[in-house]
Amino acid sequence: MKQLRIMAAVLIGKAVLALSRLWGNQGTVLPGYWARKVYPSILKELSAGVKKETVIVTGTNGKTTTANIIAHILRENGETIVHNAAGANMITGITAAFVAASDWKGRSRYDYALLETDEANVPLLLEEISADLLLITNFFRDQLDRFGELDHTIDLIKRAVDGSAIKLILNADDPLVSCFAQESGCEAYYFSYDANAYDQNDSQENREGRYCMVCGAPIKYEFFHYAQLGKYYCPNCGNKNPQADYRASDLLMRPFVQVSVNGNRIQSNLPGYYNAYNILAAAALADHLKITPVIIRQAISSFRSTSGRMESISVGDRECVLTLVKNPAGFNQLLSAFANDGQEKNLVLILNDNPADGRDVSWIWDVEMENIMREDRHIKKIYCAGQRSGDIALRVKYAGWPQDEISIAGDIKQGIEKSLRDNSELIYIVCTYTALFKTRKILMRLKNSGYSPKNRYESPLSEH
Amino acid sequence: MTSFIIAHLYPNLMNLYGDRGNLICLQKRLEWLGYDCRVKSLDIGDEWNFADVDMIFMGGGSDREQSLVYDDLQCKKEELWREIKNGFPVLFICGSYQLLGSYYLTGQGFKMEGLNYFDFFSEGGPKRLIGNIVVEVKNNNETYQVIGFENHGGYTYFNDTTLRPWGKVIKGHGNNGKDHTEGIIFNNLIGTYLHGPLLPKNPAVADFFIRVMMARKGINIDSGCLTDKIENYARQQVLAKVMKIKS
Repeated sequence: MKQLRIMAAVLIGKAVLALSRLWGNQGTVLPGYWARKVYPSILKELSAGVKKETVIVTGTNGKTTTANIIAHILRENGETIVHNAAGANMITGITAAFVAASDWKGRSRYDYALLETDEANVPLLLEEISADLLLITNFFRDQLDRFGELDHTIDLIKRAVDGSAIKLILNADDPLVSCFAQESGCEAYYFSYDANAYDQNDSQENREGRYCMVCGAPIKYEFFHYAQLGKYYCPNCGNKNPQADYRASDLLMRPFVQVSVNGNRIQSNLPGYYNAYNILAAAALADHLKITPVIIRQAISSFRSTSGRMESISVGDRECVLTLVKNPAGFNQLLSAFANDGQEKNLVLILNDNPADGRDVSWIWDVEMENIMREDRHIKKIYCAGQRSGDIALRVKYAGWPQDEISIAGDIKQGIEKSLRDNSELIYIVCTYTALFKTRKILMRLKNSGYSPKNRYESPLSEH
Repeated sequence: MTSFIIAHLYPNLMNLYGDRGNLICLQKRLEWLGYDCRVKSLDIGDEWNFADVDMIFMGGGSDREQSLVYDDLQCKKEELWREIKNGFPVLFICGSYQLLGSYYLTGQGFKMEGLNYFDFFSEGGPKRLIGNIVVEVKNNNETYQVIGFENHGGYTYFNDTTLRPWGKVIKGHGNNGKDHTEGIIFNNLIGTYLHGPLLPKNPAVADFFIRVMMARKGINIDSGCLTDKIENYARQQVLAKVMKIKS
């Protein structure tokens, strides 16, 4: 009887998946929703078929990228995995991933389950599946968390793992995460960055872990890596960073992260301190799964960010980092990501107003664009392009950037070529939706044609 | 140094898409002219003192928020009207523009009272009026094309035919999509459906308010003493695009 219900749930789920794909959707949530309707224990049943280990990746920032890197390492090691797609990180999305990865009889075909999970969904997930490992990247309060929701969530996760056999992989540099094991009593392993050239003694950024999670007294920092991540101690109770099992040293960001994790030198294609933590977390977890240092090193160096998530494309000796922005929150996040990366950079801002971009471009005035003026963002020049290059240029001007130093082009290709001719090695290209694909195509064509930005006569330009 | 204070009314309730761009614009332009300018938020329950502020700005909000604001404005209604008649500079956008009339009857049949300064009313129409808009206004005896974006479900009609619309719709919908009128102008008050960053892309309108604020402090400035190179580029770009599209 049970077997019949599992089969029915899987079949319904797979049918919904096929239909939503036919409909042009990705089918990352609905199949799970319907499979659970047919058989509420479907996730419990399917997850029992994981041959090796079940890994949960959670935290406020970086869980998608961290899980994607781990997935890539596991695949490079020849493992089969069930891994939920980005964004579908609630129970239904995770169920959908299992349904898609099972055969029609509901039999498992995977070595590992790698489940990127929304923080608030971790307790719910642990009620249904037995996980072997829980990786927590960090806990950041976002601007919507005005009601102490984060503390509540952390508490719920603690209670869910309390007394279980789950092992924890934790960020030793985040005071909100590192104290996690003390109260839950679980076996824990820590990853941490050594002091390095990118650290700061202080910074203006919002600090979340200002009070000791153990005794409540204000905590002090020897230095900050970024945000509240750093070397801290509590003068009152002595709480401090736990001893790290995975130590990251000799960090370089040019702008792509190079780092040694317990002596294993890793070179990546991902920029920024937040990615440095994603890489370290993924390497720590992979090592824990007994993947060899060589495979970890090779897999991370061949890992590429998916389109729109800080994809990097090199054109001649210029490194172009392509990013999609859709709203003020995403734009703000990007501008704060520039903080403390120590890299001089040029910005190309491309604003279109087709229906898929949003015909109303007013939202750019809700972006905290004034941050481009801050020295710690290291922005050298700004180029504006796209159908509404004038609007985005105006926003930049009213953020305080000298208007004679804003370069404007209507044509995207012209804007990109202008920026390439400038002598900055690193160029961030920030696009709205319909500009992204066009921009990517232009960059790939320039890259493949051997375009050299130093030779200004190679590509004929029509001045605006 | 002479300094200016602009009151932002109910910023937590009446602040839809990008409305604060107007305040950033006035602040920066005053700064570039060598003056100091501060924005003061006035929320529900706050005391007002007209002697302390140089201009009033209110943006758009949802129907629910609009009625909360209406309640709070009851005790300030008379004083505000007296100041408007005396030439106090005021910019009201979208929902706050509708508040200046007698009522707004929503598409769901819910009636919201207005401040009744002017004899006009608004009511829900068959469809929301959305899109780029170009309006021709008279500014300093010259015609000026105001460029913006509108997105409103309320259609506004003037009962009192002596009321002056702010401008004439060239492209887009305006007050009601029928009579080619847009907004209202009365002394130094402008009410309009052009939401979001109206002033940055229409520097002549920003300078209209700046001149009024200065004149009230006894300062005279020449208009157009700031370089509006990027403003003009952005205007041309949108005009070229909008004027090609069939209305």
